[in-house]
Amino acid sequence: MKDLDAIEHLIGRCALKDRSAFSDLYSATSAKLFGVILRVLNNRAEAEEVLQEVYVKIWRNADRYSTGGFSPMTWLITIARNAAIDMLRKRKGTGEQMPEGLAEAMPDSAPGPEAQAVQASERKKLDGCFDELEADRAQAVRGAYLDGETYADLAARFDVPLNTMRTWLRRSLLKLRECLSR
Amino acid sequence: MSGVPEKDDDVVLAGEYALGLLSAEEAAAFEARLGAEPALRALYVQWAEDFALLAEEIPEETPPARVKATLDRRLFADERPARRGLFGWFGLTGLAAVALVAALFFVVDLPGTGVQPPENPVYHADLRAEGEEEIILAAGYDATTQEMYVERRGMQDRPDRDIEMWLIAGENPPVSLGVLPDDERIRLPMTPEQIEVLQGSTLAISDEPEGGSPTGAPTGDILATGPLEDV
Repeated sequence: MKDLDAIEHLIGRCALKDRSAFSDLYSATSAKLFGVILRVLNNRAEAEEVLQEVYVKIWRNADRYSTGGFSPMTWLITIARNAAIDMLRKRKGTGEQMPEGLAEAMPDSAPGPEAQAVQASERKKLDGCFDELEADRAQAVRGAYLDGETYADLAARFDVPLNTMRTWLRRSLLKLRECLSR
Repeated sequence: MSGVPEKDDDVVLAGEYALGLLSAEEAAAFEARLGAEPALRALYVQWAEDFALLAEEIPEETPPARVKATLDRRLFADERPARRGLFGWFGLTGLAAVALVAALFFVVDLPGTGVQPPENPVYHADLRAEGEEEIILAAGYDATTQEMYVERRGMQDRPDRDIEMWLIAGENPPVSLGVLPDDERIRLPMTPEQIEVLQGSTLAISDEPEGGSPTGAPTGDILATGPLEDV
């Protein structure tokens, strides 16, 4: 994958409707996004459909990227993940979809993108903070993010009442934030 | 829990939102606040950045080429020259567009030159509607240019619809050869993968929304089919 500056540049070119930049962006990022989508959906046909939708969104909303405050890969991954979770929940028929336009509709004046130089150490820090959680709770947070699991899914997987799972998750989020901001 | 409870509540709420754990109503209420509360927005962006790091562990998986082909057709199909007229289109989008036409859609019937049938087609197909005798489309593969020559025999697109051509090799799903422009005679460029499976394959055309099938597979009526035969 290209470095983050290059990705950001390509998103910027897409905002100007530069199709060759779009193709380059697709080449540079589609394998990652397809991986993210497949992880949630575990179904190649659906994942292909979602991947297509995701790049349609990226092309159409590229002009909104610079105002969102996300680093480029976070923006792309968030769009992909949200679309995959939408499909997952549609398939399950829960009717609860990811709210429209989570990442892509972010309003103005958020902080600028994270510096990429800190990426590796950020990841290390995140892992360290997950390690501070009890193992099953860390797994629950990861399951929610990586697999798109809902509170109900998680409660069933860990065989605890729904409200217990909510409490676990919320406490874990607080602990994570406290650790991450140390 | 200690600390400032309100702030903690928002930290948790932003995290739940980033994870997709809120109900539709809760999420809508959260979004309504986002626009007016930069601090809340910062909390959400922070969580999104943190969690996106988790995605690093997900292995990359190269998607099949048809995804990009369909995507290009979906996004850029309305800029096909058949609809706008070649020269107006050149003026609008310049050289990049020319390259795109050649790469994605078809070789354009340049004014004055005229698309000619292949002199020695390797394979030939006559396409007929099911149960009909009349040939509505003929096709021949030109190995010298690696193109499929396609000739309409008086058939027209339905209003606000397009006709898309498909290559069906054995039991494989149909592969799009592209949307047929309105011209009577056209040449569709073929990829090496497509050429490899031509022998014994079938050509088909389907009725599709303008710009072609949105899914990468035929979605409308199959208008005609015909086997590719050695010439």
